[in-house]
Amino acid sequence: MSKNTKVVGHDAVRIDMEEKITGAALYTDDLPFGPNLLHMSVLASPHAHAEILNIDTSEAEKFPGVMAVATGKDYPQKFGLYLQDKSILPVDRVRYVGEQVAVVIARTKEIADEGCKLIKVDYKILEPILDVRDALKEDAVLIHPDLGDYQVIPWINPQPGTNISHIRKIRKGDVEKGFEEADFILEDEYHVPHVVHACIETHISVARYDYTKRLTMWNSTQSPHTQRHIMANALGIPHKDIRIIAPYVGGGFGGKAGISMEALTVACQKVPGYPVKLRWSRKEEFLNSSQRQELRATVKMGVTKEGKITALRHIMHWDVGASAEYGNNVVNATGFSATGPYYIPNVSIDSVGVYTNHPPCAAYRGFGYSEFHFGIESHMDRIAKAIGIDPVEFRRINAIKTDDEVAYKCHMNPSGMLECIDKVAQAIEWGKEEVSDDPDIVIAKGFASAWKAPAMPPNAGSSVFIKFSEDGSINVLVSGMEIGQGLHTAVAKFASEILTVPLNKIRVELPDTDRNPYEWQTVASHETWELGNATIRAARDARAKIFDVVSRAFHLEKESLYLEDGKVKDDLDPDFALPFEDFVITGIQTEFNTWVGGPIMGIGSFIPEFTNAMVDPDTGMGGHPNVHYTVGAGAVKIELNKKTGVVRVVKMAEGFDCGKAINPDLVKDQIVGGFIQGLGTALYEVCIFDDKGKMLNTNFTDYKIPTILEMPDEMIPIIVEVPQPDGPFGARGMSEHTMIPVMPAVANAIANAIGLRIKDIPLTAEKVALRPLQKDFVAEK
Amino acid sequence: MVREIEFTLNGYHQKVSVKPGEKLLDVLRDKLGITSAKYGCGKGECGACTVNLDGKTVRSCLMYAVEADGSVIETLEGFQRLGKKEIQEIYQKHNAFQCGFCAPGFILSTDELLSQNPDPDEEEIKEALAGNLCRCTGYKNIFSAVKEMVEIRKGRES
Amino acid sequence: MLNFDYRRPESLDEALSLRKEWGGKSSLLMGGTDLFLAIEEEVRRPELLIDLKKIRALSGLEEKDGAVHIGAAVTYSELIHSDLVHQKLPGIWESSRLVASVGIRNSATMVGNICNAVPSAESATPLMIRDAVIHITSASGSRSVPAVEFFTGPRRTVVKDDEIVTSISVPLMKGKFGESYVKLGRYRGEDIAQVATAVLVDENWNYRIAYGAVGPVPMGIPGAEAVLKGKKPAADLIEKAKSEVLNTVSPIGDIRASKEYRLHMCAVMFEKAIDAAVSRMETGAPAYGARLI
Repeated sequence: MSKNTKVVGHDAVRIDMEEKITGAALYTDDLPFGPNLLHMSVLASPHAHAEILNIDTSEAEKFPGVMAVATGKDYPQKFGLYLQDKSILPVDRVRYVGEQVAVVIARTKEIADEGCKLIKVDYKILEPILDVRDALKEDAVLIHPDLGDYQVIPWINPQPGTNISHIRKIRKGDVEKGFEEADFILEDEYHVPHVVHACIETHISVARYDYTKRLTMWNSTQSPHTQRHIMANALGIPHKDIRIIAPYVGGGFGGKAGISMEALTVACQKVPGYPVKLRWSRKEEFLNSSQRQELRATVKMGVTKEGKITALRHIMHWDVGASAEYGNNVVNATGFSATGPYYIPNVSIDSVGVYTNHPPCAAYRGFGYSEFHFGIESHMDRIAKAIGIDPVEFRRINAIKTDDEVAYKCHMNPSGMLECIDKVAQAIEWGKEEVSDDPDIVIAKGFASAWKAPAMPPNAGSSVFIKFSEDGSINVLVSGMEIGQGLHTAVAKFASEILTVPLNKIRVELPDTDRNPYEWQTVASHETWELGNATIRAARDARAKIFDVVSRAFHLEKESLYLEDGKVKDDLDPDFALPFEDFVITGIQTEFNTWVGGPIMGIGSFIPEFTNAMVDPDTGMGGHPNVHYTVGAGAVKIELNKKTGVVRVVKMAEGFDCGKAINPDLVKDQIVGGFIQGLGTALYEVCIFDDKGKMLNTNFTDYKIPTILEMPDEMIPIIVEVPQPDGPFGARGMSEHTMIPVMPAVANAIANAIGLRIKDIPLTAEKVALRPLQKDFVAEK
Repeated sequence: MVREIEFTLNGYHQKVSVKPGEKLLDVLRDKLGITSAKYGCGKGECGACTVNLDGKTVRSCLMYAVEADGSVIETLEGFQRLGKKEIQEIYQKHNAFQCGFCAPGFILSTDELLSQNPDPDEEEIKEALAGNLCRCTGYKNIFSAVKEMVEIRKGRES
Repeated sequence: MLNFDYRRPESLDEALSLRKEWGGKSSLLMGGTDLFLAIEEEVRRPELLIDLKKIRALSGLEEKDGAVHIGAAVTYSELIHSDLVHQKLPGIWESSRLVASVGIRNSATMVGNICNAVPSAESATPLMIRDAVIHITSASGSRSVPAVEFFTGPRRTVVKDDEIVTSISVPLMKGKFGESYVKLGRYRGEDIAQVATAVLVDENWNYRIAYGAVGPVPMGIPGAEAVLKGKKPAADLIEKAKSEVLNTVSPIGDIRASKEYRLHMCAVMFEKAIDAAVSRMETGAPAYGARLI
């Protein structure tokens, strides 16, 4: 099917590009709401852990221009995607600095801000827990004493009476025996700190509740239907009476997945008829938009002297922050996959979500895989060097191949792992030594492999409507979100390919839960695959309806009809060519001057019908939690300045097996964009907290995301295409994946340059410069 | 303390009442219907709020509207009217943006660069765009688009 | 709530009389890139903003009487695009290019930068090594203060509540000289200096050396200047001078850099800065503006 495609597999200008370069693309903050618009401000907790003894809002309520004030008393219900451990506003306890304690709705933002200052909160300060190692102690204070009462889906395992939000265990084979068979064993710990998405658009929500009890929201979100579902359950409003409209999103990366501040704007229920806007400040965005979980991992790996991995024990302690809800699925997904892209016969994994008094954490591009790959891929290099095998060769020896058994004993989907490794090694000129003219500079290379599966419930669904207009042009209605990844261009291409309508006659509409069909969420890099499949089904459905009406009107065999250039043609009659515009709305006039047909629409739905999340909690066996893995590799060439410690990535190569590149140019753009985001998290980015749990760098002055000056001189994105049998035209997802190899690849390059093994992200100039000066420093060879 | 200020906005003469503490970004967005200048950080660090004031890019989040009294302001909305479509078209051709939120700022910074320096080298291009943050693209296509614009302009001059 | 009045005088006299009348309740607005945030974060709560941008007397940038005079309204972008500055004040030119980003440099002024007086102020050390003089005026008279005496503490200067800094004069060098400004940031993109080193050397091997961001105020390093005075730098002299540097600076550790790394980089940057300044004097290379670390 993927041969002879006209649109799929060829480069095109993104269908959203013209809107975005002219300013026609409207984001939530750009929509007009008229003079009725009210503004919301939020009072944040100054304490990381405290009981709320009393909240006095009386002064705020009296302030001229203040329309309403809401606190946790108004919202006793808990909510959350996987575990309902989140409050709309806290009732009796705050659990992190910045937690939103009360909201004020006022005529202007300034008045709302003033109103917040007039709210008096009495706190009883509790000792904060700021380290997973403290949270796991026997006598640790419980951050969620009521954990046992929270609602939870069946495959998430919170441990009431502890600070553990979820455990996912894998027990495959016999690890002790595996270690006995090993000639060499290495065990060590790795640390990856909290980071943030840093979308340039901060979160924003506008909500209006009216006297018919209808709630309408305009949200910057990756998850309109999931938000509607959570709201409906939490507020007791029928789904049909909640409408979520999702304009363009200014960056998501997981940060706008699920629900966060949108739960606050539901306080618009206190002022029916008025739209209420909350736009987070950059500081609020840092603290509340769900950070990436901090990981402390212990990796123990055994290998034979021939380089075969015999066993892996991987213990991951995830700092999920003050609430886990969505973040529990990070814990879960990595539990199944923390072998990395290798076949390992004996595996023991404990992936443990641990509450602390840090800001809540959840989905972040890579969904935990970036974090655990740092340990695994650092380990791979260290072991390879210890047993005298080239690190790339060591990865080749153990690379997961098609049909290999993965950690939960299902079989690997078609895998281009070796091709990715080889092409990336070739592109980075692996093995070629380079020497700088500058005596202070060491040139070195580093390599890492990666894999990732979409992490989603087994029944996550996608659906699509395709509708024709009089001129034969098409509107495709989806609720998959265009967050910049190019999804809507892919959807348009699928429709274009099957219906033979050119891209410039196709629009893909942004989500509106009233009008567009259901989509679980735009997360997990599952959309090209899943929404793509639904789009193809919708296009085929429309095509079938076209063939049906044409065959009835002209008495032709359906089987001989086909589409070409926006016309219906007939294999049996070369002169027959009926343009869409002649019939897709009006139908076709028969020889009796009656009409058949009518407006043509196609519908398509998709869920994976082979997945199963119900595994044995003690072993992780018995289910089929993932739809497929996407594999790849990345490598960097660095120039390391021995005096300043500055590491500059001058060249990168990354290749991923996306099955089929629907738009090769956009696949490469994902590789480059993900790489640079990964580079930021490798070298500069870290949330810095003081000993009371207050984050100190809630701005771009001190939270550094890469600028154009950090771009490597040379970037080589590589596409590998081993088709996914159940993917649209063979495609599988690849967008998040591109971040995953970066941290370990850079760390490995630093070790290759000066023998310094850094096990603690970020890999700052300071660590590079100072560590080799210390007396106990032993260079890694 | 409300006062009337006047300026030229995308070629149109405008008059608007503001308080001294009102930010230029907010006045443009809330009172004059400009949506291309965006709130990103409120501290002049991301460049999403970039507008051109008297021929130079400024951070509209870091200025009071009263300071703009008597000035000439251009935003992305005025580009086609002001005959600057070419920059947009080349960016489009290169698929230069993903989420698009930072695009207006980049386009204005590029316009300023090319109006001041018709033949910038690679470092000068990067330096001119270093104050605009983009989290999606990794900057590669933005950079290649600007390089092509420079080549096209050079070709036209020779 | 932001509740201040705003005035934009067109003459210096008008500005000075406003300043006299309002004193500490007024703040002077130039590019505003620092002041704006100070007001936003309620670090400063002025009742009146006096916008000096339209006072023509403050917008001069010229060479006169053996010095380059930089008016208070001159922005960093104007400095960078000035041939006069590039040729006669190359260290100031070099440091100006490292201030934030284009969109800030188009508004921000050098006078604003030194009046804001953070220890990392980009222009402090390049002005100090050139013996620049800061001209300060009030309704009752004018005075001039050497740059080395201008800073009195973090965010504090000698400027009083009724005064306005009108310009900076930088004396021209006689004969050959070389300068350098080396800045430590966390990456190549915009950053606040974690260490800043400015060096001037002339053809008689007189040195001027200053450091920023490693003490409460930007500081000269007279001990190192004395060690090197009259000599072409050799390895042993550099080492000796470097220890003078390390004995003089007093960096703190903060979220931007540890004390240890700052000290380490004080030494590394000292060598780079001396090297570059000497080499520029002798050979003209590396070009001003080239990356030195």
